[in-house]
Amino acid sequence: MDRTTRSSALFGILTRQKALPFIIIMLVGMLFTKTGFYTPYNLLDMLNSSSILLILSFGVTLTIIAGGCDLSIGGILVVSGVLSIKLQSVMPMWPAIFCAIVFGVVVGFVNGFLVVHQRTEAFIITLGMGLLLTGVAQQLTDAHPLPSSNPDFMMIGNGYLLGVPNLVIITIVCFIIFAWLMRYTQFGRNLYAIGGDYEVARYSGINVIRTKWLAFVISGGTAALAGFLLSSKLNTGSAIYGDLTALVVNCGVVVGGTSFAGGIGGIPQSALGLLAFGMLDNVMNMLNITSYYQILLKGTVIVAIIWLDCFAQKRKRELV
Amino acid sequence: MSPAEKTGALKSAAGFLRSYLLIVLIAVLVVLTAIVEPKFLSGQNMINIMRQFGPLIMVALGMTFVIIGGFIDLSVAGIINLVAVVTISLIQVLGQVPALIVGMALGAACGALNSVVILSSGALTQAEALFMTFGMSTVYSAFALLYSHGSTMHFWDIDKSKSVFEAIGAGKVGPVSVSFLIFLFFLALLWIFQANTTEGRSIRLTGGNKTAAELAGIRIRRSIVVIYTICGFMAGVGAIVLFSRITTAAPVIGANFETNAILSVVVGGTTLKGGKGSVLRTVTGVLLIILMSNCLNLLGVSSYLQVVAKGAILVFAIWLDNRKQA
Repeated sequence: MDRTTRSSALFGILTRQKALPFIIIMLVGMLFTKTGFYTPYNLLDMLNSSSILLILSFGVTLTIIAGGCDLSIGGILVVSGVLSIKLQSVMPMWPAIFCAIVFGVVVGFVNGFLVVHQRTEAFIITLGMGLLLTGVAQQLTDAHPLPSSNPDFMMIGNGYLLGVPNLVIITIVCFIIFAWLMRYTQFGRNLYAIGGDYEVARYSGINVIRTKWLAFVISGGTAALAGFLLSSKLNTGSAIYGDLTALVVNCGVVVGGTSFAGGIGGIPQSALGLLAFGMLDNVMNMLNITSYYQILLKGTVIVAIIWLDCFAQKRKRELV
Repeated sequence: MSPAEKTGALKSAAGFLRSYLLIVLIAVLVVLTAIVEPKFLSGQNMINIMRQFGPLIMVALGMTFVIIGGFIDLSVAGIINLVAVVTISLIQVLGQVPALIVGMALGAACGALNSVVILSSGALTQAEALFMTFGMSTVYSAFALLYSHGSTMHFWDIDKSKSVFEAIGAGKVGPVSVSFLIFLFFLALLWIFQANTTEGRSIRLTGGNKTAAELAGIRIRRSIVVIYTICGFMAGVGAIVLFSRITTAAPVIGANFETNAILSVVVGGTTLKGGKGSVLRTVTGVLLIILMSNCLNLLGVSSYLQVVAKGAILVFAIWLDNRKQA
């Protein structure tokens, strides 16, 4: 009896917080290897290379908590990256970046219109939107990488402030803003309510359409922000980076503990989930695992984690 | 005409447009292309269009069942990668016909594995299945990469006159290509399965309402296994047709097949909500997509803008489908 309750408690922790045990296993495991994992340089580099995905995940978390999801972020990421470089030939840098972000907000607005106002299925509409935007990015760049000639632009993504990479600082600022938004504002609390039960939220007087719509707009905006930062980091805009990003980020958010069922999760959880993916990449590189095995391992982890998420849902249904 | 009659006629016209807007739009495009570019109506172009009834339609036919059953399958890209490289490497070892059979069986096995993973987790929604099969797709692609060491494989060294794959890829019976005949064969088979068997009807009921279907005594678990197995099998067939045509198999050969297949199914009018649809509609959908890209090619529209057009049509078709339901 005692043993079953203990094991079910362990199972509960595992299903609620999948990323943390995963991270701890990797951290402990790396203690026993002779690699440069535990150097400040590597740890900072790991944060730096996960930063784009982390920023993307913050916006996506909002849509998933509201009971949707956003697969168009890959498309927004590449188009805004290309736009922020391309527009610099006709206007100064900051207005160009501003336009790129406005573009993301507009796409998010359209997504929100279709998903929330017209009540279509979020995942398939945003998948189509992502496909469309990938085509736009290919057309804009003629499917070639588009280099930037502005050194100031490159410094945004590659510069340091007090020894810390700019990208890490921007990620931390975004993290604080989004965590505050979700925890301490009416908007954030309403999103949880909408994801928990749409109809109940509506009858309790929440403006469900406007709130959920806003989640998609914010997700589009953050994706555009991440897109310009990625372009700046690589100093090129290209149509290929968005290919799998959308699915990986959405999976990462679920790995963190935000459930597709909606209403559960949060920004810190998503950060942990994406960090787990970033750390997995770093650890695999440190251990010199060849890239094909890396793909295999990553795919297996995604399946395992989503499997656990669904299984927990099933247990919950059976309990009720 | 009285005003009431007028509004009635307008309403039914609007209803007609809403139901067939996509077909109307593409018909307009076809007429425009025929006017601007008379080559469109030439015999050569018609043969070209027929030749394109190749890999995509096979995959889309399989995908139809998954969508009718209320699920979705992103893993076809991975299955195509894996089946293509495994089959092409087995030609030397086993001979052509056994390699063909192993290839199709491997596709079906991958599909069955998907259904096992989904069933064991208790996933019930399309979104859960989407992410799960995406993960499976990554796994299959990784196996394809490991198996082929990332290199492209050829089958040049087979005796061409006796080659089954050469026949599948480039052979003709009269003016009709062999791949078109293969397509007709599978279409007939799957249509009979869908319309005239108990299992075909069970799939439809499962897609319509899983709980109701289960309470009515339908074995929904078996239906789910069947739809994914068919989808995997057809993806395997698609992979074989694909590499037979291009005579090489790279482990990334299946990229984008999943979105194009879903696009064809949805454009054909099978609803993503499940429970409704048919393989015949998918054929219309694929025909529309092929006609569209043929027209856009003749009009000189870049392939990148064609991706944009496809994405826009996907979004638009789902929106229309949703309006019809409401």
